[in-house]
Amino acid sequence: MKPASIQLDELYVQRDKHAKELRDSGKKVIGYFCCFVPDEIITAFDMVPYRIQGSQNKAIDQADAYIEPMACPFVRSCFNKALKGEYDFLDGFVAPHSCDTVERMYNIWCQNKPAPFNHLINVPHMMGPSSEKFYRQELDYFVKSLENWTGHNLDTGKLRDAVRLYNERRAVLRALYDLRKSDPPLVLGTEITTVLVAGMGIPAAKHIELVKQFIDEVKGRPLPQTQKLPRIFIWGNELDDIAFIKLVEECGAWVVMDDLCTGTRFFWEDVPETADPLDGIATRYLYTHCPRSNVPQTKTRAGDLENRYSYINDFIKEWVVNGAIFYIVRYCDTCELEGPDLREYLNGMGLPVLMIEDDYSTSTIGQLRTRVQAFLEMIG
Amino acid sequence: MKDYIKYYAGVDIGSVSIKAALVSNRRLIATKLVASGASYKDAAQKVLYSVLVQAGLDAERLSGIVVTGLGSESAPFPARQISDISCQAMGCHYLFPSARTVINIGGQFTKVAKITPQGRVVDFLMSEKCAAGSGRFLQVIARILHVTLENIGPLSLQSREPVEFSTNCAVFAESETVSRIAEGARAEDILAGVHRAMAIKVAMLVKGVKMEPDVVLMGGGGEDAGLVLAIGEALGTRILVPEQPRVSTAYGAACLAELDLAL
Repeated sequence: MKPASIQLDELYVQRDKHAKELRDSGKKVIGYFCCFVPDEIITAFDMVPYRIQGSQNKAIDQADAYIEPMACPFVRSCFNKALKGEYDFLDGFVAPHSCDTVERMYNIWCQNKPAPFNHLINVPHMMGPSSEKFYRQELDYFVKSLENWTGHNLDTGKLRDAVRLYNERRAVLRALYDLRKSDPPLVLGTEITTVLVAGMGIPAAKHIELVKQFIDEVKGRPLPQTQKLPRIFIWGNELDDIAFIKLVEECGAWVVMDDLCTGTRFFWEDVPETADPLDGIATRYLYTHCPRSNVPQTKTRAGDLENRYSYINDFIKEWVVNGAIFYIVRYCDTCELEGPDLREYLNGMGLPVLMIEDDYSTSTIGQLRTRVQAFLEMIG
Repeated sequence: MKDYIKYYAGVDIGSVSIKAALVSNRRLIATKLVASGASYKDAAQKVLYSVLVQAGLDAERLSGIVVTGLGSESAPFPARQISDISCQAMGCHYLFPSARTVINIGGQFTKVAKITPQGRVVDFLMSEKCAAGSGRFLQVIARILHVTLENIGPLSLQSREPVEFSTNCAVFAESETVSRIAEGARAEDILAGVHRAMAIKVAMLVKGVKMEPDVVLMGGGGEDAGLVLAIGEALGTRILVPEQPRVSTAYGAACLAELDLAL
């Protein structure tokens, strides 16, 4: 048996390999966007949830015939893969209204590359009780639509099991993140991204097994060099390629914490175990810390910022962060508009911020080097 | 006696030109600038050799080299690598100790940094992948107008009615320039208009780092008097420009080689 680190590396490179094998063995694979589609529900129907990703190292060569190039390059890259038939293995396609681009992409995708099952989940933008009710209702529609398509009713017992399973995965991933707290951290930022991305297309039980083995591997290996380097927190959206984090670490820093769609954002908080598991799921997913969502206003500027970002404050303190890098995939309105407020909040804590806008392409990495290097020289 | 003096070099490998500066005790001894061309390695070797020849030194007499700029990875000699933002800050600091904000308008990017009284970077911003705020924009317009780069500044200063550009995009500005020529606008008025449009872009970066005087302008943009004037007007402040604006980052790199700071 290969060591977990090698298996995870392979899954990171060939992200659809395992999903395709499962499909060939008779399983149904459901592809979805973003952090608002509950894996638990798909798993409870005995299907495999698959998080749709793009390719940062491949040019977008077909999608521009259908959508304007000033749309989000992450979504364009995903759609480009679909047009090339790389997502033909998906039995289902689910998009949440996470942002307007994803919501509209649902229609364009279904028009040009419909899967056997297609569904759009409406997600409210304000975190609060009325939204919880609304989103809970939307999840009912999602369940009904799956029931109609599969011909099976949702088994609440299986849904409860799925909630426990995914909470276990969350706990294992948090345990992995704990290894980044020491100085130097025991795991590199690039390794973390590899582990997380590798897990986006395999059943949770297998991912849990691999991550546990990986943690044992890490604990068993010699300590990294003890040179004192700045500890970086990365905030942004879709960073499903290790290239940028590798650049930061090569320039002389440890990437120790994140708030990314491909990082803590999708797994950090547990689903509360409620009498009706859908209630707990609705609450958990609605309160995902995505800049597309907003929180009720407190009437003071400081109160609003605290309300929105206190979880980041905890990350910064517990992981002893020296600087923050915002890595924003170009044309992501939600991140670009969230950036100034978050910068103000972090600067207020005395934390320097570097804001980078990139093209969801690894070919731009060289141009970013100067910026990252200057930032590390500034805080070093 | 001469053997006891220590010499340091800074080499700035940029996209348009490659520069070297030789210093001793922060005093500028020699400089050299060549077009970058297709081989950064050859050009970098050439400028370094040139400053040594000018000072009558062998390469062994160098006590340290810092290499910087977009192409610093391709330096053909062993050298410490430091980002051009830190180098421009240090160069600016020794040229103008009163400087707190430094603007560098280069061929590819415009960079703005806030610096401490010691020349350390506190905050910085760079123009994104956009030519409108960089020297490349001026090159494009100069080519259409058949004006050499050196003449852009003096010509622009003669303008009485600067043309108003409705776009901040270099690509659209190219076609807008052509339309204005067709409408009969004068070259000096077009250039002054371009300078104003660029100055607005640059001013936004400067305001982004919360400008503090004194403000220094370095890089190729500093050689363009029309641009300096427009930026000064856009920011409502006096702009200081070093004698050799294009080599000031290389000079900062040489100073950093001499200081041997832990950055």
